[in-house]
Amino acid sequence: MIFLATFHWGWLLATLLLGFAMGWIAVVHRGHGVSKPLARWLALLVAALLAAALTRAVPGRPGYWLDLGLLMFGLYLIGCLIGSCLRNWVLPGPADAS
Amino acid sequence: MRGLGKWSSKWWPGTIPLAVLWALAAWTSTSPFETELAGRSTAALKTVLLDKSRVAVSGRDVTLAADAFSEEGRHSAIAAIEAVPGVRLVNDETRLIPEASPFVWSAERDVVRVTLTGSSPMPATKAKLLDAARADLGGVEVVDQTHLARGAPPGFDEAALLLLAQIPKLKDGKITITDTKVGLSGMARELGGRETIAAALKNLPAGFSVAANDIKAPPYIFQAYKDPVALKLTLSGNVPDNTARGAIVAAAGRKFFNEKVVDSLNISLGAPSAFTNAVTPALGALSRLSTGTLVVTDREVKLSGDALYDAAPAQLRANLVKDLPQGWRLKADVSVKPAAAPVDATVCQQLFSELLGKGTIRFESGRSSLDPDSAGLLDHLVETALRCPTANIEVAGYTDSDGDSAANQALSEKRAQAVVDYLVKAGLPASRFTAVGYGSTQPIAANDSEEGKARNRRIEFIVKERP
Repeated sequence: MIFLATFHWGWLLATLLLGFAMGWIAVVHRGHGVSKPLARWLALLVAALLAAALTRAVPGRPGYWLDLGLLMFGLYLIGCLIGSCLRNWVLPGPADAS
Repeated sequence: MRGLGKWSSKWWPGTIPLAVLWALAAWTSTSPFETELAGRSTAALKTVLLDKSRVAVSGRDVTLAADAFSEEGRHSAIAAIEAVPGVRLVNDETRLIPEASPFVWSAERDVVRVTLTGSSPMPATKAKLLDAARADLGGVEVVDQTHLARGAPPGFDEAALLLLAQIPKLKDGKITITDTKVGLSGMARELGGRETIAAALKNLPAGFSVAANDIKAPPYIFQAYKDPVALKLTLSGNVPDNTARGAIVAAAGRKFFNEKVVDSLNISLGAPSAFTNAVTPALGALSRLSTGTLVVTDREVKLSGDALYDAAPAQLRANLVKDLPQGWRLKADVSVKPAAAPVDATVCQQLFSELLGKGTIRFESGRSSLDPDSAGLLDHLVETALRCPTANIEVAGYTDSDGDSAANQALSEKRAQAVVDYLVKAGLPASRFTAVGYGSTQPIAANDSEEGKARNRRIEFIVKERP
């Protein structure tokens, strides 16, 4: 995994920044969020994909793409989390007001 | 932090560019990533001994196809690739190279090239043997058709190298190792090559043995030519060593009383057994010919020429068959020289004196048996006696002064009689000869030196006109 991360560091950094930006925006975003049941289904899907990756069930290139996708998705989520928290911490007002 | 749930529900729009990024990353990085993994996997296999190894990478999964030389080798190859960072799965398509039983390796030499065939245990051994063959043979084409196989006996490399070193000594032939048995066939390049190879085979590694050594050598030839005109005996061809050379030249000197011995012999290994024991009596037979050639080829003695009288060919053939060591063959093509013109008694006496002046009839020490070395001289005496059929001949025996005079008297009589017996056996009428012994009573030299005594021990022929 470390080798995967170091080999693709550029893409992963871009993912992290994307997540950070999305997280930053999400705090003040006025649009609709994902509904709870859908979120649950999505979580289940991610869990299933994670399980498939960990058990190495997908062979060859698709398996590699799955690993890469999950790694990028994970970093995206971390980026979002950092973005949202930082925005909330730096500018708490507007977020709470919305 | 209470808003985390609310914010996170709004993170989804970013997944669209994320998906694009992912697709781009997958599109651009797959091939370089696989190349990188393939390079690292191949590097990891450097320390593992494999043949025909092939690494194929699909995503993070590596497929290794290779021929391994042991189960342990297979496992360590797989483990080496599994340890490469980034590798997710290893598909094991390795197999053990087949085991050869019996394990056969051979090197064959023909006119233009040396071909290595059969099984070779390891790529390193295969390369080493090919290099050794090229180095040993300098310039001769070497073709390696061996394939790798398990099951080589311990010490195989050493044995194969030793045998390859023998190939340059062969003109053509084949050397084969079958498990621990070594077989050789073919023709040695030079005389003695067979012996050199046999000696080298003694250094085969422990456990190896020679099952068959059928290396043949070029024929071992010895020749002797008696030239009655130039009065020369020419010895040519091969003798095994200086001792044999000395013995043969000395024997020739004793047997050929009238000829100069010319020694053109070469010393060379590879003589058949009992060589000197065969050549010596054969030279004795040649000495009884007027002119003739002796050719000894391996264990075959070929004698051709002209004998001096009718009874001689059968006699010398019979004697030679008896005297040749076991396993030797004789081919005698001996005719009889036309009889020389008769001469009168005076000339006959002169001829006898001449012959006995050049050579001495020898006997075994203290006995009356004729020394075989004197057969040539005796045959010439027979020939001369045949030329004067009307003359009676007294054969007189003399001794030196050593010992009792009565014994010397008896010995001289017996020796004279032995000579007469020889002449009679040659076909001359017994009535023409009288054997007389004079003991030590008529010395022709002083008996105070070995040389003088030797001169006094003699046989003389005295021709008497028939009354």
